Amino acid sequence: MNMSGLSFNALPPIDLPFRFFLSAPLFIIVCALLVLFSGEILWFSRWQPNMLALMHGFTLGFLTMVMMGALLQLLPVIGGIGIGKPRFIATTSHALYSAGVITLMLSFVLANNWLTLTALVLLSLGLGIYLGAIIWVLIKKMSQGDSINCFRLAIASLTILLLLGILLLANKVGVTVPFILYDKHLTDIHALMGLVGWAGILIIAVSFQVLPMFHVAPNMPKYIRQYLGVCTFTLLIAYIFYTELALGLLFISQGGFALTLLYVINQRKRKVPDTSIKYWKLSAATLLLLNLLYFLPDSFYSSTHSPLFMALPDKTMLLTAIFIYFYLLSVIQGMLLKILPFLSYTHLQQRCLVDFSAMQFIPHMHEFLNKKHGIVLFYMHIMSGLSLLAVIIMPSLYFIFALFLLLEFVWLFVLMMKCMALYFSVNKKINLSNTA
Amino acid sequence: MSSIPEYMTKKHRECDEFFSEAEAAVADKDWSLALAKWQLFASELTEHLAQEEETLFPQFEQATGMTSGPTQVMRMEHQQMRALVQSLDNALAAKDKDEYLGLSETLMVMMQQHNMKEEMMLYPMMAQHLTDGEQLIEGFKANEAV
Repeated sequence: MNMSGLSFNALPPIDLPFRFFLSAPLFIIVCALLVLFSGEILWFSRWQPNMLALMHGFTLGFLTMVMMGALLQLLPVIGGIGIGKPRFIATTSHALYSAGVITLMLSFVLANNWLTLTALVLLSLGLGIYLGAIIWVLIKKMSQGDSINCFRLAIASLTILLLLGILLLANKVGVTVPFILYDKHLTDIHALMGLVGWAGILIIAVSFQVLPMFHVAPNMPKYIRQYLGVCTFTLLIAYIFYTELALGLLFISQGGFALTLLYVINQRKRKVPDTSIKYWKLSAATLLLLNLLYFLPDSFYSSTHSPLFMALPDKTMLLTAIFIYFYLLSVIQGMLLKILPFLSYTHLQQRCLVDFSAMQFIPHMHEFLNKKHGIVLFYMHIMSGLSLLAVIIMPSLYFIFALFLLLEFVWLFVLMMKCMALYFSVNKKINLSNTA
Repeated sequence: MSSIPEYMTKKHRECDEFFSEAEAAVADKDWSLALAKWQLFASELTEHLAQEEETLFPQFEQATGMTSGPTQVMRMEHQQMRALVQSLDNALAAKDKDEYLGLSETLMVMMQQHNMKEEMMLYPMMAQHLTDGEQLIEGFKANEAV
């Protein structure tokens, strides 16, 4: 019986998103080693070459890697349609992109022009192929909808981020474009487009779907669904010209999102204890804390007359670290805890539509990812996050952060492998039952 | 008078509520409350599936001639949901909290995916093709009142 015409959703084969997910923690493991071997000096400035390598290991190697895999799956689930030629697109873009991120990190550490050039080519090709396929779907075929519109804005941000990245790398190897000022502001735009545009807006879009779906929470208020994504994107563009004002408003709008998140989570019908909810709450609390830290007078930072018992460290580094570690990483980990068992189960369940008797082989979702193991990950995340704050204040503590980081992401990798292994063993049983 | 998408979507939400209440009670190990809520959910679900399989799907298939299309997939998913409901019944009878919560997470996700397909595609298609949709819903409501 041919099911292809009957299925509503065109789920890509599971190994495609999973290869993105499985690669992601490996990049953080590399980052942990980088922290360990770089020593204290890494933490002295955001412009340290190894700090740039670390930053891109986190943002490209982990965050973007997971989000690229998740989007492959989310488009069919939310929009009802996936990218064309998924195996070719995912395989090529994943291979080029992974090689690109590694080369980019090496190019920062070793300050080698050939590596920079290679990274530029690999990342442009890898992301270019991926973006091309996604943009084609988002423009041509996708229906309207608040989440889909936010996806479009997130993808637009990723495109701008990539273009600026190419400009910056090209500049490093001596190719400059006229009328462009290569200063700190350009790098800041590049960074904000990635952190708040690509990652931030994608999270907003995903929250509209997953909170009602997994937790039976009410929909986000209509005005948030309609305007928050556009408003964030507009502010990011405004940031190019009105830096201070736009940045302040970006913090406030993210704070507004945090309050809405907390409200919606509080109103959810499904009150059963859940680690993903803990991650969402932590993320929302982080956005509120960031507002407080951002609007604190400058005298609190790096000043000898700090009103606190100690001076806060460099503001940009502190706020960026908190945003990445306690906000972006938290949401992504919380999502992974849901997505990994969900994908594994859904793929197997779809196979059993034809062969109902094989349903007996499919384990329930907690068997794919044990709840207790998820909670352990959450507490490991808090510990390594706190050690990150400690190292920013006292760089000599770098080895503690490296150790916690290593433990957390080896654990995440183990959880992923366990989930995948169970998937494949059940899949095999279903195959055998089909041929029997 | 309510339309097919309106009424059937409302029923999905009602099922979600009973389901969540039963699940919360199991998490608290309040087994008698869990059983009461679970039975409410199970009977709501049985009625909802029957409305689809015995009335709406056949009418839709007749109106469109699509007998092996989306309704067929929905029927197969219903069968899978019934199997999970059966396993949940057993876990509840055995007062096995961890097993129940693992299965309930699974059924929840399956139902949400299933509901999304119905709400986004099938119900609007039904509203378009079934001219007597609102009368059918009135019939459901009358049965409920009995």
